[in-house]
Amino acid sequence: MKIIEIKNLKKTYEDNSIAVHAVNGVDLSIGEGEFTAIVGPSGSGKTTLMNIIGGLDEATEGSVIIDGINTLELSTRKLTDFRMYNIGFVFQAYNLIPVLTAKENVEFIMQLQGIKKAQREERATELLRAVGLGELMDRKPSKLSGGQQQRVAVARALASKPKFVLADEPTANLDSKSTENLLGIMEQLNEEEKITFIFSTHDQRVVKKARRVITLEDGKIISDKRKNSNNTD
Amino acid sequence: MVWSIAWRNIWRNKLRSIIMIAAITIGLFAGVFVMAFMQGLIEARIESATRTELAHLQIHVPEFLANNDIDLSISNSRELTEKIGTLDSVAAVSRRLIAEPFIMAAHGTGGGKLIGVEPEREKRVTDIWEHIIEGTYLEHESRMPPVVIGEQLAKRLRLKTGTRINMQMIDSNGNISLKGYRVSGIYRTNNSSYDESTMFVNFTDLQAQLGLNDNTAHEIAIRLEYSDQADAVKPAIQDLATNYNVQTWKELSPEMSMLTNSMDQYMYIFILIILLALCFGIINTMLMAVMERTKEIGMLMAVGMNKRRIFSMIILESAVLTIMGGILGIAVGTGVTKFFETHPINLSMFSEGLEGYGFASQVYTSLRTEALLIITLLVIITGVLSAVYPARKALKLNPAEATRTE
Repeated sequence: MKIIEIKNLKKTYEDNSIAVHAVNGVDLSIGEGEFTAIVGPSGSGKTTLMNIIGGLDEATEGSVIIDGINTLELSTRKLTDFRMYNIGFVFQAYNLIPVLTAKENVEFIMQLQGIKKAQREERATELLRAVGLGELMDRKPSKLSGGQQQRVAVARALASKPKFVLADEPTANLDSKSTENLLGIMEQLNEEEKITFIFSTHDQRVVKKARRVITLEDGKIISDKRKNSNNTD
Repeated sequence: MVWSIAWRNIWRNKLRSIIMIAAITIGLFAGVFVMAFMQGLIEARIESATRTELAHLQIHVPEFLANNDIDLSISNSRELTEKIGTLDSVAAVSRRLIAEPFIMAAHGTGGGKLIGVEPEREKRVTDIWEHIIEGTYLEHESRMPPVVIGEQLAKRLRLKTGTRINMQMIDSNGNISLKGYRVSGIYRTNNSSYDESTMFVNFTDLQAQLGLNDNTAHEIAIRLEYSDQADAVKPAIQDLATNYNVQTWKELSPEMSMLTNSMDQYMYIFILIILLALCFGIINTMLMAVMERTKEIGMLMAVGMNKRRIFSMIILESAVLTIMGGILGIAVGTGVTKFFETHPINLSMFSEGLEGYGFASQVYTSLRTEALLIITLLVIITGVLSAVYPARKALKLNPAEATRTE
């Protein structure tokens, strides 16, 4: 089942009076439960495409249909709500709220959604256990390693039960061990919970784990390859 | 959660928040203290003017105050005084005769204002008798009638108690009348110009010199139970004194009213300066807080925190900082002010200048509750409004760019 359908997506901006086509006619469908990496050199349009899919940036032309709704036609206010209920975000620099504990960081989105305290606590605990942080959930981000912070970020991204998770260079700041650990958790969540992950990455370790790799160049998709689900290399 | 994050954000940079709270505390303390000091100064001046000089209300024949003509007298002053004395809010009533004599003393001459008073009644209306620094208050110690003069006049004419002075004036028949008085007492008030010009004699002595009958007075001075009743009691007194002019102390002394108003204006200007400094301090602090948290605010926007909540969070941070500083400032300000309500601030080094304007050199602070509420409200409003600009800055952030900020 398709959860994202992008048609003829274009994003053009002006740089010193020169038109730059950051995304130039992208057509793309992403189905439920996919584990997809978007790759490409710097300036290929990966981040812009991710931002438009995530409702953080506007497009010049085209449509992004998520769950039957063209997000490009939503007002800023509706788009904010749409992101809260439908999209999970994992950022390169974790972007946790430093004054909240790991558990509170995960609970935060659910509180924005108006979920009751008991339910929030139960789900936050469950998610933090799922990412291997059951023992560290009362620590603040400053008391966690980079890898642990990114795992909290994954738990936070899943807290709102989103349709998919957008992970923008999630391993860029992590060492090999933490990367391996994080990718293992995400892969497990994808396989067991059927959670859809879309990565924007330069990291070959992520590319190896991905079951679909979309390559962008100059704002266009130049390749879209699917691997076997049992890919282990 | 917004509240929780806002509260924890305040303590994220403890030193900065403590400095901000201290700045608000000091600013508010200064505002409260200066307000209470000025209010104390004004109240002391009003009290001094009504207690020593004017009383709360006065009755004259219309035009008397304009030209001091001794013929413009209240002809039924005795009956009128008795009737006014029966009114509920009236504490005391006194009749006065007023003349403007030419003073002749051994070491100089000059003009002045001579007030004939009934000493026992006058003691209940004004307190000049309490300001006697030398001698006695209108007590006959010789055959010559007594006069009480101010310290400044005594200095100018080199007079001492027991010294004789002559007063020359035009009597009610239009003749020049010269009469000798013996200085029985010298007084000193907080108003040096009053002390230089005003003298007191017995009502009967001045009455005899002016050739007026016993029922005649130029002025009836009325002391009320409470000074703020003057406007309310005035109509009842006017009903009794139908042909005369009844005036409150504010009407009698417009310059004091003006002084009070200008003091109020200075006070508001001072408070405005404090609030402006506070405003810029908060803008600076909150702007720094927003700039430091660009990435975090971008993330909050990205994950679905709407603009209203982000705006509220920043405003709340500023409001909480301001309220904490405000409560401390008010507590410290009120505490210090309460102390100086019973322990006067000694400004004797400026006494000459202050007394020239009728102000006491010892000031007791006076804090009005409504003024305290107004300044508290103004500080909170300033705190909230000052955060609007940084909050709007935060709302203008683009979440996609903000989350990638280094």
